[in-house]
Amino acid sequence: MKIAFLALSNEIHKRILIAWNYKFNLMSQVVLVTVIFVGASFLLGKGQFNPNQLSTLFIGYIVWFYARITIMGTSMDLKDEAEAGTLEQTYMTPAPSEFLLLGRMLAMLFIATVMVLLASLVLLLLLHIPLSLSWAALPVLLLTLAGLLGFTLILGGATLVYKQIEGLADLIQNLLLFVTGSLLPVTDFPGWLATLARTLPITEGIEVLRQILLQGQSLSSTWSSGSLRGLVLNSVVYLSAGWLIFKWSEHIAKKQGTLGHY
Amino acid sequence: MIPFSRFPTAAIEVTSLSKTYRTRQRSIVRAVDNLSLSVPAGQIFGLLGANGAGKTTTIKMICGLITPTSGRVLVNGYDVAHERSAAIRQIGVVLEGTRNVYWRLTAWENLLYFGRLKGVSGQPLKARAEQLLRELQLWEQRNDTLRTYSRGMQQKVAIACALVTDPPLILLDEPTLGLDVQAACVMKEWVIKLAQEQGKTVVLTTHQLDIAQELCDRIAIMHKGQLVADQPLSELLHLFSQERYQIRVKGNLADLRAACFGNLTVRSEHGEVILTGAIADQATLYHYLTRLQDLSLPLLSVRRVEPDLEEIFMELLTRSEKGEQREDRVLSSVQ
Repeated sequence: MKIAFLALSNEIHKRILIAWNYKFNLMSQVVLVTVIFVGASFLLGKGQFNPNQLSTLFIGYIVWFYARITIMGTSMDLKDEAEAGTLEQTYMTPAPSEFLLLGRMLAMLFIATVMVLLASLVLLLLLHIPLSLSWAALPVLLLTLAGLLGFTLILGGATLVYKQIEGLADLIQNLLLFVTGSLLPVTDFPGWLATLARTLPITEGIEVLRQILLQGQSLSSTWSSGSLRGLVLNSVVYLSAGWLIFKWSEHIAKKQGTLGHY
Repeated sequence: MIPFSRFPTAAIEVTSLSKTYRTRQRSIVRAVDNLSLSVPAGQIFGLLGANGAGKTTTIKMICGLITPTSGRVLVNGYDVAHERSAAIRQIGVVLEGTRNVYWRLTAWENLLYFGRLKGVSGQPLKARAEQLLRELQLWEQRNDTLRTYSRGMQQKVAIACALVTDPPLILLDEPTLGLDVQAACVMKEWVIKLAQEQGKTVVLTTHQLDIAQELCDRIAIMHKGQLVADQPLSELLHLFSQERYQIRVKGNLADLRAACFGNLTVRSEHGEVILTGAIADQATLYHYLTRLQDLSLPLLSVRRVEPDLEEIFMELLTRSEKGEQREDRVLSSVQ
């Protein structure tokens, strides 16, 4: 177990060191995402910044930003390592390989959190978005991120086997912006789209976060209404499916000898 | 740092190892076909073969990076399939290609990362990393990122990363590929030092047969996934020596007047004509000498010669191809 945790912390440390090399790229992403939010909220507000709409939009957009960084980051990261030849070297560890991936994703989440905090700070100060923060939002955010991790594991598994999936990852992260209720609440969607949206990884999380942060609901009331239960179910399903699919993909990649291919 | 092996005499035991792939056209490719070999501890073992012979697949199966279709690999007595964790600790590997290490990290960061990856940490790891970087004369540049290093320096760091946990077995897949002469020399010195001074087992694959001949105690040659030779270098070099001759006469190539000398290779050097190659029996040798006498070319010397590894390699591959063709003919006549 000591080896597993050493591998985990080692992986997190490495990813952060490498990310630091790309700090200007990351900063430009923060700027880009901030500018897009300002533009999107201006358009959705039909030429003005509506404070109530801004809060709704802000929560969805920030959760989507997490999704964007982890989805693109993990698939690019695995592909880049396969291309560089270091992916196979990372498998030369006595620790279980899932700890390496977990380390990779936790580092990605840490980097994403720093970027989200920076973007949020700028947006909150710039647009004076009314938002009453609550500790109850934290477990909901963590649950949402757990589901997102599961979803990223599925894409990570696909990357191990097929490698060239950045296009698909890009398409998915953009689709998530429009069909998960990031921009508009799912309740405004047509029935079939709302049903589809609820099967996606961040939709339920965004909804529960809005209930807590905007409507002032408690965790117990969101549990009673079923929305929190939906989020728990969604996250557990994605996390379990992601884990299984990743292990299976790893097995396939080793069987096909494509672990280091690109 | 690394636990003692279970069987100290055999570093690697490969038994009936096979790897087959299904292509997109649904045909089956046998990358490695029923391979069995044993690598004694403390030797430099060369695994040679043309492109696509199955060398890299074999190395990766030894490391557990490719799952074999059948067969078993033991590394210092640990089964790679069932005791992966213990087996991996025995191995340091530099895989084929230019980037086994992180170019965005410094040499120091790379060494610490790969050490921790293998479960070593703290002061012992830092001391070992320092020792390796000093020995490789990279200590002064330890805080520079590897993208600023030359290819030779990067390869040194890759080897240092493979050695950072002091494993008893080192696998080097094409370690001198793309290196300049000076960097290749440093690499060769290191390989010899690892085996002779530190008692490590080194398995290396290479296309550069002169390097294999210079370094290896034992050579295995693979062809189309199969083992066509596995012998100590000295025995391998003697394999065809009885059949090979070198005849030197005074003159130049024009003096031969298109005379035929079977399979002998003919070259001209400093006013001499040198004929080299396999001569099956004494009668043929005398026949060639008589022909040279008829051409009035003064005989300078006749001697048996040791073939070099390259000639043996080519000969074995030719024999292997012929064997396959014979088998094909037998099979087609049976069918």
